[in-house]
Amino acid sequence: MTVVQERPTSGPDGPEQRRQAMRVRKRNGDAEPVDVNKIVRAVERWVADLDEVDPLRVATRTVSGLYDGTTIAELDKLSIQTAAELIGEEPQYSKLAARLLAASVDREVRGQGVASFSQAIRYGHGLGLVGDDTAAFVDRHARRLDDAVDPAGDLRFEYFGLRTVADRYLLRHPDSRLVVETPQYWLLRVACGLSETPDEAVDLYRLMSSLAYLPSSPTLFNSGTRHTQMSSCFLVDSPRDELDSIYERYHQVARLSKFSGGIGISWSRVRGRGALIRGTNGRSNGIVPFLKTLDAGVAAVNQGGRRKGAACVYLEPWHPDVEEFLELRDNTGEDARRTHNLNLANWLPDEFMRRVEADGDWSLVDPSDAPELPDLYGEEFDAAYRVAEKKAVRTVRARDLYGRMMRTLAQTGNGWMTFKDAANRLSNQTGAPGNTIHLSNLCTEILEVNSDTETAVCNLGSINLGAHVTTDGVDWEKLRATVRTAVVFLDRVIDINYYPAAQAAASNPRWRPVGLGLMGLQDAFFTLRLPFDSAGARELSTRVQEEILLTALETSAGLAERFGPHPAYAETRAAAGHLHPDLWGAEPTQRERWTALRATIAAHGLRNSLLVAIAPTATIASIAGCYECIEPQVSNLFKRETMSGEFLQVNTYLVRELRARGLWTPQIRDRIKRAEGSVQGITELPADVRELFRTAWELPQRALIDLATARAPYVDQSQSLNLFMSAPTIGKLSSMYLYAWKSGLKTTYYLRSRPATRIQQATVAVTPTTGVDPVVADAEALACSLENPESCEACQ
Amino acid sequence: MTTTPTTPTTGTGARHLLLDPGMDLTLRPMRYPHFFDRFRDAIKNTWTVEEVDLHSDLADLARLSPAERHLVSRLVAFFATGDTIVANNLVLNLYQHVNSPEGRLYLSRQLFEEAVHVQFYLNLLDTYVPDEKERFEAFAAIENIPSIRRKAEFCFRWIDSVFELRELRTRQDRRAFLLNLICFAACIEGLFFYGAFAYVYFLRSRGLLNGLASGTNWVFRDESMHMAFAFDVVDTVRAEEPDLFDAELQQQVRDMLAEAVECEVQFAADLLEQGVSGMSLADMREYLQHVADRRLVTLGIAPLYGSRNPFGFMELQDVQELSNFFERRVSAYQVGVTGSVSFDDDF
Repeated sequence: MTVVQERPTSGPDGPEQRRQAMRVRKRNGDAEPVDVNKIVRAVERWVADLDEVDPLRVATRTVSGLYDGTTIAELDKLSIQTAAELIGEEPQYSKLAARLLAASVDREVRGQGVASFSQAIRYGHGLGLVGDDTAAFVDRHARRLDDAVDPAGDLRFEYFGLRTVADRYLLRHPDSRLVVETPQYWLLRVACGLSETPDEAVDLYRLMSSLAYLPSSPTLFNSGTRHTQMSSCFLVDSPRDELDSIYERYHQVARLSKFSGGIGISWSRVRGRGALIRGTNGRSNGIVPFLKTLDAGVAAVNQGGRRKGAACVYLEPWHPDVEEFLELRDNTGEDARRTHNLNLANWLPDEFMRRVEADGDWSLVDPSDAPELPDLYGEEFDAAYRVAEKKAVRTVRARDLYGRMMRTLAQTGNGWMTFKDAANRLSNQTGAPGNTIHLSNLCTEILEVNSDTETAVCNLGSINLGAHVTTDGVDWEKLRATVRTAVVFLDRVIDINYYPAAQAAASNPRWRPVGLGLMGLQDAFFTLRLPFDSAGARELSTRVQEEILLTALETSAGLAERFGPHPAYAETRAAAGHLHPDLWGAEPTQRERWTALRATIAAHGLRNSLLVAIAPTATIASIAGCYECIEPQVSNLFKRETMSGEFLQVNTYLVRELRARGLWTPQIRDRIKRAEGSVQGITELPADVRELFRTAWELPQRALIDLATARAPYVDQSQSLNLFMSAPTIGKLSSMYLYAWKSGLKTTYYLRSRPATRIQQATVAVTPTTGVDPVVADAEALACSLENPESCEACQ
Repeated sequence: MTTTPTTPTTGTGARHLLLDPGMDLTLRPMRYPHFFDRFRDAIKNTWTVEEVDLHSDLADLARLSPAERHLVSRLVAFFATGDTIVANNLVLNLYQHVNSPEGRLYLSRQLFEEAVHVQFYLNLLDTYVPDEKERFEAFAAIENIPSIRRKAEFCFRWIDSVFELRELRTRQDRRAFLLNLICFAACIEGLFFYGAFAYVYFLRSRGLLNGLASGTNWVFRDESMHMAFAFDVVDTVRAEEPDLFDAELQQQVRDMLAEAVECEVQFAADLLEQGVSGMSLADMREYLQHVADRRLVTLGIAPLYGSRNPFGFMELQDVQELSNFFERRVSAYQVGVTGSVSFDDDF
């Protein structure tokens, strides 16, 4: 491709003239004329395997953005940006931009006198960034570790991934803010922070560097540093119904948030508005003012400048303030009763859903009148609730409340539907009476018991399934090996983790739960050409999940054999011989391995009470360059908005397909852009190809729920299941969530929807509206509104 | 397809055109249901200033280069008054002459949106410019900053051009009104604001001023609808009274856009005067010409420049957004969801 953009020269100071006068300031301060060929040569170094990239195009476009007197550093930055802006036309520019960026990061690190991994660690330790243990470990094994660095490692990154790494994950000099490690040094540092031997470190490093597995962000941020808080999720029980407990929770949440944790916190135990406060003989203002304070607290804590704090509040639907709770994210109403930073989730007992279905009444009960309700589930809850109803503060129609929940989901995406009874009934941790799961976490994939004195903790990591699949199918042996490595290191985190709150330190060593997830499911489906809603896709995803849980349990049993079972093992369902698929009544396919596993567990127990949770992987999927967790693609062409900026993302599988058919043309690109990333209108593509490349908005959501249900017996915690609806209505949503509940899912996550109208597109061709066509359409609309007053939207 | 313009009638059968003088109050039968649809769509886009989180912007402002800071301060100074001018024209001119109750519903909604935009930029300036004296200067930009004054004068001239008209009686009156409408849609919302948005998106693509960008996203979404409504009115009038659209009017529109481009280019020269890497004046000029051409093509008028969009980052605003809530507040929701609970809907 040798398309060079031609520009009209307009006027006396047109671009051509200006370009000739353009000078660039070198690092030593001297000015020299801009030389396009120099930029071309700099780009050419990186394009050996990128045959669609045109270095001259990057160079000329870069020069056109310059001003007279630009510095060399700005020129470098601009060439990276310029390459990145061409990704929508040709995805290979993503690799080019990533490599230019890697080169620039490399220069920055070398410029501080760092020439090897061990030097970077020593430098970082001297600056107070790297922890003593890791510094000593690296010092002992410097040569072995220095040799392990893969010089080709950075070539695997896509631009968005590497930009994210460079902006937020690499350690920076406290004063100069320069990065003090390269991306490969970073991954090796993370590995060293988790390892006992150099072999272990090199193994884990190679796995991460191949992007086949990544631990979650807190581990990637903090491993090997002076603050080794590496857990992603904290599940805080509701404050007790008293002021001291509420303020203790604020403090706990702030501490957990400061060290990168995402918070789930229940509020079901705190009395509602109007309830009597005996101490002062006053009436309570309810939970909203307290949540407003929590909201401000979460916003104030910034996770080391890397991302904002985040929390989700869970409430059971019998709480008297539930309706106000559902309005916390509305953008109208009194701002003192709105929480713009908190996420909201409903923690729903089956009894509520049954009454919705039967169109029954629903009683709102004050927790001060029924303090036992949050600790009960299943039939015990049902019985206690029916007794508590006699003291109801108010009675509403269950469907009305359910309808309000649907409205909140449609208007804010928040108010996630999570199901208390399924979560408890189908958990390994609820084997003994008194152990109850009170809520899920910030992303609805973690389900762990907690209490007033124990805050549940979970360390996460995700397998990139795309990296374990070729057109021939899944590489099962590779997948097993990845799971084994992942589980060992997730388990390791539990012991070396820094716990920012005593309640977290009390819980984690007892239960030792971990959450191994996966990402890139959509990549696997594209590679194997399986439409998301096909039977083949469902089968593959289920078998993959069985393999992951089975291997994870085998590994955990192996760890138990060496180190003993986790201390609370006797309280688990596994101790009684009931493994997670048994709770679902599922029929696994790998019978012999399951049988052998049962024998091992009977002999040694398990090192971890929970092993699998499918997290949203928003950031690490970007780093790995794959689609997020178990999600379908949202669009064939879209942008990601992050703190680092905006990034164009294009479906490379589709581009390959179109190119093979000679269809990757500016016209087709324009049509895809105009259709907001849909290819359903590209009739030049055969129907089966269009079917494969449907977006989340174009898939039946029933299929997403069915896939999730099919894999659920092999997910012992839960899944961050987003659902998508372009134009949600209360009717569609209420049908969908009832189906999700009936399917037995423990949790759902965001409802994604789209704005009613969009910004006018600036870069697709315009067509004149000559006044002819609209008249026809208007005439039809007029006729319709007159003749069919019921069915026409305009009349309702 | 038909080329016969429709001749809307009132309930009593009398012929009645959109620009005919009067205060039509009759919503049934509805003569222009497409205006009503736009009104409904606009309501779904409701957002409030409190939802925009500006706090990360302050850290960004501190690390901008002097050249970038100059750009930002000029830009917010323009924003400080831009939407107020549009709102004034709406009240003084548009509302009076678009004689359709459903069209006026949309305009009322637009007026509300302009007010929210004014509030947003007010809040932005209060946040960005903590020094009171500087803040007052920013709000007085029209007096103090020549490049902004020139744009404002352009706007005022077109507001004044029809201000004396109480009713659109003659062909000449109606053409004057159309020019005012086209000026505000194509030149002010469609070019001045579009130019301003380009700077915001440029900064945003560099990871700067997320708060400004997310508010601007919403403003931009609204402005896109305002422009689309105005063009819809133009099309409707054209269908009803095709003879208003002669060569002379087309030439006047072209001249007006050419002048608007010049106004905006001199503003750009001021903003970029200290050199901003990635945004040269030559590129900005080309971008503005490209946008002006698009407006002309939309109006069915031959383009003036044949320029192309030089800004790769503008592609970013043409595609779906996906935010990670850990990073940014998600903005892709709508309000005014309808329906009732049922269990057998398709999903």
